[in-house]
Amino acid sequence: MRKKHKLASSSSPEVDEQKGRTSSSRSVFDGHKLVFTLPVIIYAFLLILAPLVYILFLSFLTADNYGGYSYDFTLQNYAEVFDGTNLGIFLKSAGIGLLTTAICLLISYPFAIFLRDKPLKTQNLIIKLVMVPFLTNSLIRTYGWITLLRKNGVINTSLLFFGIIKSPLPLMYNYLGIIIGMVYTLLPFMILPVYSAVSKVDQNLLDAAEDLGAGKLRKFKEVYLPLTLAGAFNGSLMVFIPAIGYFFIADILGGGKAMIIGNLIKNQFLTARNWPLGAALSIFLLVITFGLVKLYEKIGGDLDELGAG
Amino acid sequence: MPALVLRSYEPYLSKVAVKKPSDNAHFGRILWARNLYLALVMLFLFLPIAILVVFSFNASEMNIIFTGFTTEWYGKLLENPNLLEAFRNTLLIAIISTAVSTILGTISAVGMKQYNFPTERVVSKLIYIPIVIPEIVLGISLLSVFTLAGVELGFWSVLLAHITFSVPFVITSVRSTLYALPKNVEEAAEDLGAGKWKTFWYVTLPLIKPGIVSGAILAFTLSLDDVVISYFTAGPGTNTLPLYIYSIIKTGITPDVNALTTLMLVFTIIALIVSSKLQTKRQLERTL
Amino acid sequence: MSELSRFSKPAKASLLVVFLLVLAVSLIALVKNRPSREDSPKLTLNVLNWTSYIPDEIIADFESEYGIKVNYGTYSSNEELLAKVNSSALGTYDLIFPSDYMVDLMISRDLLAPLDLSRLQNLDNLNPKFLAQEYDEDNTYSVPFLLATSVIIYDESKLAPIRSYKDLLRPELENNLVILDDQRITLGAMLQASGSSMNATSSAALSGALNFYEKLRPSIKAFDSDSPKTFLITGETDAGIIWNAEATLAAAERDSLKIVYPAEGFALSMDNYCLVKGGKNTDAAYLFIDYLLRDDVSQAIVDEYPYISPNLSVASLPDSELDEILSRGTYVKNVGADIKKLDKLWAKFK
Repeated sequence: MRKKHKLASSSSPEVDEQKGRTSSSRSVFDGHKLVFTLPVIIYAFLLILAPLVYILFLSFLTADNYGGYSYDFTLQNYAEVFDGTNLGIFLKSAGIGLLTTAICLLISYPFAIFLRDKPLKTQNLIIKLVMVPFLTNSLIRTYGWITLLRKNGVINTSLLFFGIIKSPLPLMYNYLGIIIGMVYTLLPFMILPVYSAVSKVDQNLLDAAEDLGAGKLRKFKEVYLPLTLAGAFNGSLMVFIPAIGYFFIADILGGGKAMIIGNLIKNQFLTARNWPLGAALSIFLLVITFGLVKLYEKIGGDLDELGAG
Repeated sequence: MPALVLRSYEPYLSKVAVKKPSDNAHFGRILWARNLYLALVMLFLFLPIAILVVFSFNASEMNIIFTGFTTEWYGKLLENPNLLEAFRNTLLIAIISTAVSTILGTISAVGMKQYNFPTERVVSKLIYIPIVIPEIVLGISLLSVFTLAGVELGFWSVLLAHITFSVPFVITSVRSTLYALPKNVEEAAEDLGAGKWKTFWYVTLPLIKPGIVSGAILAFTLSLDDVVISYFTAGPGTNTLPLYIYSIIKTGITPDVNALTTLMLVFTIIALIVSSKLQTKRQLERTL
Repeated sequence: MSELSRFSKPAKASLLVVFLLVLAVSLIALVKNRPSREDSPKLTLNVLNWTSYIPDEIIADFESEYGIKVNYGTYSSNEELLAKVNSSALGTYDLIFPSDYMVDLMISRDLLAPLDLSRLQNLDNLNPKFLAQEYDEDNTYSVPFLLATSVIIYDESKLAPIRSYKDLLRPELENNLVILDDQRITLGAMLQASGSSMNATSSAALSGALNFYEKLRPSIKAFDSDSPKTFLITGETDAGIIWNAEATLAAAERDSLKIVYPAEGFALSMDNYCLVKGGKNTDAAYLFIDYLLRDDVSQAIVDEYPYISPNLSVASLPDSELDEILSRGTYVKNVGADIKKLDKLWAKFK
């Protein structure tokens, strides 16, 4: 409350009367504060908090059959979140998210450690190249995978041609396709923070470990891992969260039968016409997200570095 | 979201470990294996794009077999009014939302550093929300309030949504340079009689420009590529490029989209080269 | 001050570069679009229609002929249409194309505006047999646009003859079938396959449908309503339960594909022109409907997407064949509040 008073008074006439004491800049100072703080307050409350509070409210309402809802408060939607069909999708989706995160971690650590030993120029070049594909449209890239993965696609055709397989492999229109698409789309979010953390590890520590006879695995476990944990968690967060929400990847590579939480929420809003259930699913997702972010802060992660490495 | 990558890229350059010399006997073989690994990861990253570039010159309309070389699709691209309109909408929304969110994000970052204000604690937490929450949740919550408020879905709703998710990225980007500033610079300016406005305009602003620029680039690329949030907040007549591409992926893609991707890729690479040239120059100047 | 200039110069330069690049690209985009802008259409029309239903050229021709800008959005199912119309602000859409049962449902939900049939000069082009249907007995709200049916399509050269939904359970079809991502049509097929009527909602009928679906599940490679033909043309699947026009187009590309009307029955789906209540561009909507009712335009649409046109002069099918399809097929019906049960069952299919 005291703070609020401060803001109110800062632009009030009484303070303006004091301006003569120092210089005219004093009255400018008040306007300055208003201009530099009011917009962000309005923005944060109106465009971030209000929509979230509204879907929280929505999640307690009762849906009618056609896309409307009545103001009968209920916990039914939350019960439905945990109902058999939805729970199944949740678990599968969490599995996809975890698997995607694990694969990205497995790819990124060796990548970062090998890259670290390259000359500076090479490192810069490679990191820039990692970014190039991701500055083109993500849908188009996903589409590129169709051309590669389908029954008569580039991969199956090549494998058949070289006699490695006898009949085409089912690479897409299933969960495998979704995981390939997710790993591909989200990999740089893991590579960059992991590389950033790995490149900061002090060479002396690694040399010392080696001198003490630590093998590669031990060196990784006892030096790299503890020192890069926050970076890896940062990356994991930025991979896992989209991996359970990017419905368009599941749509394109999953063939409409393999669903993730993102599809489930989208369907409530766009076909099943059950906004309250969609809102409840979103709130549930939000709680998971906030839990993960708290965990990240707990292990010493910096919020400002999220998504930035 | 993919554009997040852009911001990350400056800090890495300065934090590089020195390579240790190694005279291991197996070094040659190990090096070979390591290079192969790096190359394979890069191949994975570029494969789907390379395919699209190749097929943009494919005479066959179906993206299955390469039947012959043609540049026909690049011509077709310019005759596809829907695609061009979507492209124009995308650019317009990206430009306006970048301008607005850069200004808003910059003054917010500066204001939040300089002042204590009511609700500051809440606000400083709230601004992280668009960065961390799943885009689909932001999308549907904006859709819900727009519907509640009777906002007609269209150009303006998409624009407002894009501003909403861009501002926090600008704030964190500006903040990273803002907090690295030597404190005494601003104080010195004020001691010399410059008012708050003058100090901001002539001292703070030029100093934090790198943060503002990378924040703006980030906002621009985020807006350009957004699928999920536009998907929920767009209405009739505001097709954006990602939405257009989504709809044609569903109904069977035409090769002119491959051509567009190729052009965008070329454009991106040029922009990256230019920015890296500038960056080397900046680093040089810093070390001087 | 040297501290300042050291920072700001490159920043300024990079800002300038970014700005110039953006400017260049936007100029290209704006200039390239000028021809269509120059007509400066004062009228706009907000249309929401099925995907793959009206060729882009038809819309472009209408725009240039009448100077009306058409904002054209698409949906993949009646349920998606309902969700979009329900959730958007009044006046967002002018013209939509709901199917039979959805017309009924939308009338009951007060979402449609009555049509003034006297404003449609080309109404006489329609075959009276398609007018005055059960879902809107005096065409107060709807005028027929195109008739679609669901069909089975399969590759004769690879699969033994398929006559019915039951034949799709054969192991050779494993992961080899594409089916419509459409709640009522696909549920209807499952209901018919398990011996119920397409519009049944009793729990016995629904659990029978679910049982049949579980047996069919291993066969299904993908759900797709937008362009199921692509799956068949590219050889991704050798069979499908899809819309008739999609099947016709696929069969034209791949000779060995054969279209059959399933023995247990199939769906008829009559899509209609309907005005959305609160639409702001009614005049433009009437012009567009009348334009699409023209025989030449209707023919051009059917040439691209071979559904069954209700226009008398557009010869889609011989009369006898049409009558047979109409007598063997079933229209999906509005089931009222039981829609909730169907929603729940559909969720289990995915």
